[in-house]
This record gives sequence, structure tokens and C-alpha cells, in this order.
Amino acid sequence: MTASQDHTDTSASIPPEEKRSGRDLLIVNISDMKLSSKPEDVIVTYSLGSCLGVTAYDPVVKVGGMIHCLLPNASGARGKSRNNPYMFVNTGVAMMVRQLMDKGAERGRLVFMAAGGANMRNDTLFNTGLRNFEALEKLLSRNKVSLTSKQVGGTIPRTMFLYLDTGRVVVRSFGKETDL
Amino acid sequence: MTRREEILNTISGVVAVPSCSHKAAGMLGDPSINFQALARMVTHDPGLTANLLKVVNASFFGGTGRPLLTVDEATLKLGSTQYLQFVISTGVAPTFVQKIEGYDLAPNMHTQHSVTVGMVARELARVLGVDAPDYTFTAGLLSGIGKTLLGGYVDIEVQPILDLALKEGLSFDQAEDEVLGINHAELGAMVLESWGLPEEIVRVVRFHLRPEEYEGVDVVLDLVHMGNVLAKMIGVGLGVDGLNYVPSHTVAERLGLKPEHMDMVMANVVIELESIHDLFIECAEPPI
Repeated sequence: MTASQDHTDTSASIPPEEKRSGRDLLIVNISDMKLSSKPEDVIVTYSLGSCLGVTAYDPVVKVGGMIHCLLPNASGARGKSRNNPYMFVNTGVAMMVRQLMDKGAERGRLVFMAAGGANMRNDTLFNTGLRNFEALEKLLSRNKVSLTSKQVGGTIPRTMFLYLDTGRVVVRSFGKETDL
Repeated sequence: MTRREEILNTISGVVAVPSCSHKAAGMLGDPSINFQALARMVTHDPGLTANLLKVVNASFFGGTGRPLLTVDEATLKLGSTQYLQFVISTGVAPTFVQKIEGYDLAPNMHTQHSVTVGMVARELARVLGVDAPDYTFTAGLLSGIGKTLLGGYVDIEVQPILDLALKEGLSFDQAEDEVLGINHAELGAMVLESWGLPEEIVRVVRFHLRPEEYEGVDVVLDLVHMGNVLAKMIGVGLGVDGLNYVPSHTVAERLGLKPEHMDMVMANVVIELESIHDLFIECAEPPI
């Protein structure tokens, strides 16, 4: 596993102990990112509320990463992006892609998927989940990239898995798993 | 007997709230016990805090003085020796539960969520420049305590509750009302009230999901309501109820809360949570 470098892991989220098919999991906390090129690895992030989980995977060199972003950008939380780039969609996803390319991935081959971005019921006040997803769409569009698959919105919590051997992405909610 | 009556009958016998207390019990067995470390643990554990406030506000300790609203106040009142006796007297180890059924919450997840609500309420006050009393954190910490008591009933009826929430568009607490005849906020408040906890805290617990049902204006209630909303959006300790609660426009307007405030508070709290990371790990460890 190659953990992300030069960032502060700011999450206190302690997930339940778990293995996937006997494999240990690389856990992505809130405002965190992990990447790996080991086929036996599975990357996971738990408890996505309005946060957005994004995966990027190169199926040729089989390197991939996952990020768990709290907010769309640092405009409302000025000064936070320097020490916590993965807290924000606009800075974090770009940094994840750069690190994947450092590991041999090619930008044109990367497969992007997203999950999370939920909102409170009847929330017309904040729409953080929606703002997070819109920030991702804007970023990808600017780079002429599109999402291959997504499961976003609604009011449900989600857990997201990325299998490094195949690039398979699974979303779990209420105990039910769905392939993206 | 209605379901509500059945639940209230059962809950009336509850003498202590489940907590992450096996660690505290273990600390008591250590001759070099660190009192400050123990106090820090109690401060960040909803079950231990509730049990402590129950003890200190009982007539034996309370006397004719004003109600005690925070762990710090309770600690000053009791002094260290009695404080330790309190922890022992709550019979801590047997009250530990592996999981809060119904809400699909491991104990450490409930603790994380509760602490996050308290932190967000406190941080909201700071960012908004609101002069909030010290018990704002305590009220937030205890706001969801009814889940630890109602969870067994929610577990049995979780599918009809979820159906009402996800298919009929009810909030989770409204769905609890429909199916069980009571919701976890009301139940938590009733239990804390019966224990003699101060009205200021009981009120927040009772109305934190529906602040508009409170006829007055209470800034702590407003802060904790929004604290609960933001904690769920952050996602720390989310259970099966997910984000199925309705944020109050009235409260947002009253507080002058805007998305940029919210972003700042969420970012600050996620960073602050790192400072108590160790407590959540300790709580996640199963009792020996």
C-alpha cells in the first residue's frame, strides 16, 4: 500500500473491524485519501453522509485511489486547504489524480466513480451533498472527463469499497451491496 | 397496553445508560490511576455523563443549590474520591453494550456521533459569535441518548420505520412515532427528566429534532438542533437512520446561519475530532 503523503488525517471515524474476502482493508477517513497498486488491497471509506467518496482506477497498470471529501471547496473554510487538501473536492481529487500518475497511471485511462453526497431530508438550506457533487462534475468537466458510474444523493448513509485487482467499486447501504 | 405504554413501562426501570465504560472500570483497577484521563473520558461519553449528572443532581448531593449542568461542575462538586466512587457505583462494566440494535450503531459510533453533536453546537456558537452557556456541549452530547434506550424496539420494527422514512417521506423520528408511539428524543428526555437532570438539558433533548415545537426561544436548543444536522452531514457515526431528519429553517434564520458558516464549522470540528481519536479507539475495544 502506498499511503497518501503530506496531509493531515483529520478524521476520528473508527469503523467496525472488517475484512473483505480475507483481505485487510485500507481505510480512508474523512478528509483523507489512500491509493495502492497492490492487487490484494481493498480500499474502503465508511459512513459517507453529505461527504463525497471518489475513486479513480487505471485498469492497465491496476493502480487506484479513493478520497473522502467533506466540502466542495475551501471558500467557506479559508486557510484549511493547505494542511487538509483532501477535505475539499476541488483540491483533493486533483491531488489524488496527480499521485496516481506518479504511480504510473495515465489520466486518459482513469475510471472515475463517486458515492455519497446525501442531504438532510427536505434540506433546501445547505445542500452540501449536492454542492459536493456539483464541484466534482465541474472539475471533471473542466478536464474533459466523465464519471463512469455513481450513486449519490438521497438521505442514506453509504460505505464505498474499491478492489485494486479489478477496479470493482461496491457501495453498501443498509447492509445491501451494489456494484457501481 | 399500547406500544408506547409498553416501552415506557420497560424504560422506567432503567437505572443507567449504556456507555463505553469498561475502559473507565479498567482504569479504576490501576493503582496509578490518572484522574484527569478519567474525567476526559467521562466528558466525552454520553452514558457516563448522563449517569454522573443523575448522581450529582440527586438530593444527597444537590442540596438547595442550583442544578449542575456539566461534567466540570459535577467534578468540582464531588471531588476526586467521590467521583471515583460514582464511576464504581454505576456498575459500569455490566452496562456496556456491543451494539445499539435498531440503529445499527456500534457503541463507539454512537459516542462519536454524540461528541460530534456537542462539538458542532459549541463551535457554531463560536463561529456565529453567539454567547452560549457552558452546558451547550453537554446538551449536545446527551441529545441522542434515547437511541441507547429505544434501539431494541427500533430493531424489531426497523423495516416499517425505514419504509415510512424512505418511501413515505417521513423523518426518522416521525416514523418512530408512527410505528412505536414514541420517538427517541422524547424517550431520552423522559428518562433524563425522571432522573432529575436539569430542565435546561431535558428540554434540549426533547426538542432537538423538532425545535419549532418548543414554544419559547432557547439558543442552546437551536445550537444543538443544528449540531445534530451538521454531525449527520459530516457522517461521523451514522446509523440506519441516516440523514432522515429535517433541518429547521426557523432555527437557521434565528441563528443567522449561512452555508459558509456551516462549512467552516464542519471543517473545524473534523479537525478537532482528531484530538480525541484515542477515546474512540478505547471505546471500540471489547470488554475483557
